[in-house]
Amino acid sequence: MYNLLVFLRKYSTTIVFALLEVLCLIMVLHSMPYQNRKMVSACNAVSGSIHSTTSNWNDYLHLKGENELLSQRNAILMSRLTDMDAENDTVITNDLYTFMPAHVINNSIDKINNYIVIDKGSADGVKPDMGVICDQGVVGKVVNVTTNFASVMSVLNSYSVISGRFTDNQYVANVVWNCLNYQYGLVRDIPSHLMIVKGDTLVTSGFSNSFPPDILVGTIESTDNDDNDAFITAKLRFTTNFSTLRHVYVVKNNFQTEIDSLCIQN
Amino acid sequence: MYTKLMRHILLFIGILALQLFVVDNIRFGHFIHPCVYVLYVMLLPFDSSQVKLMLNGFILGMAVDIFNGTPGLNAAATVLICYLRPYIISLITRKSELEGKNYPSINDMGLQWYVLYALLLLIVHNLTLFLLEAFSFKLFGIVLLETLVSVPVTIVIIILIVYVFRPINSK
Repeated sequence: MYNLLVFLRKYSTTIVFALLEVLCLIMVLHSMPYQNRKMVSACNAVSGSIHSTTSNWNDYLHLKGENELLSQRNAILMSRLTDMDAENDTVITNDLYTFMPAHVINNSIDKINNYIVIDKGSADGVKPDMGVICDQGVVGKVVNVTTNFASVMSVLNSYSVISGRFTDNQYVANVVWNCLNYQYGLVRDIPSHLMIVKGDTLVTSGFSNSFPPDILVGTIESTDNDDNDAFITAKLRFTTNFSTLRHVYVVKNNFQTEIDSLCIQN
Repeated sequence: MYTKLMRHILLFIGILALQLFVVDNIRFGHFIHPCVYVLYVMLLPFDSSQVKLMLNGFILGMAVDIFNGTPGLNAAATVLICYLRPYIISLITRKSELEGKNYPSINDMGLQWYVLYALLLLIVHNLTLFLLEAFSFKLFGIVLLETLVSVPVTIVIIILIVYVFRPINSK
């Protein structure tokens, strides 16, 4: 017993160091995406309200640009409406997905794992795994939800994988971030026989249930033409400008539970 | 005793606010994340024990983490540099230089010593932080690049802060 006390006293510093580091590492591991969502949620509840206050002030500075964007969007929608009227009276509504507008209150683009905080939470029906899009294209997936806030794993995240589809040949490929620049991502696993040229457009495939199909992801910037590989990787330019993100839409799949139950049966 | 404690608490809140509400809101450039809050660890007195340093560092790191939504990340890196601080100080200073000095300050130790002190602490801190954030050695190149660009920017900011808030009487 005495020896134990002597030992503890002698190595107290190292023991405290080891204890604190282990504690930190446990927290880090538990907050990794999809593993433990509770921990980050608690943090969000504390800091969310402060971030939303600062975001409120910031919004005034961006009002002009926002107005322009909204009016542009308005114009596009108006033109679509007139097109539809001209076609016929029966409008097919897509009631598989509903879109809920939300506000970005905290956003980062220059880390390896970037997250966005939005001002809609479980009180508004937001659940983890829901997709988030904006007028320009895809934004990310919801990972944590508190009563009034949700944190979104942005496409700019080393864990993010999005299922994309080429508009001209319908082939499906995975889109990841290259971790270097917020404007560019990588398209992996493209079969090498496909002719991919600069300017090809990628949209979401709609296979993941998080995103509706045909939401813009980006355009091809360049390809590495290595003839020996069975698959090629292409550089992609995101259509979404992540640095000026303010208004986003949370995508709710109205038949999520039904689709999930089908998957479980299989 | 109380004035000393109050001073430390005010310093803690001040540096934390500076990090969260000023530095974190400035976009310096891609991969540049200045961790200015390390300044608090640098300013603690020479004679503080490792345990005291580590507890200070843990609370500071956790406070930053809570606001960034990354529990444990900054805390782990800060606890590590608190543990290593006495060794780093003894590595870059002779015993005789420390006599009669309570706090590591530019006035007492000289600019060259101070930059070296900040450099060593920040390299260890940023490397740990970015490695933990990436959580794989696959991204080690990017982590190194991040550290390489962040550390000089952080040092410049820290030196500027120290000069701006230098006490008037210690000219």
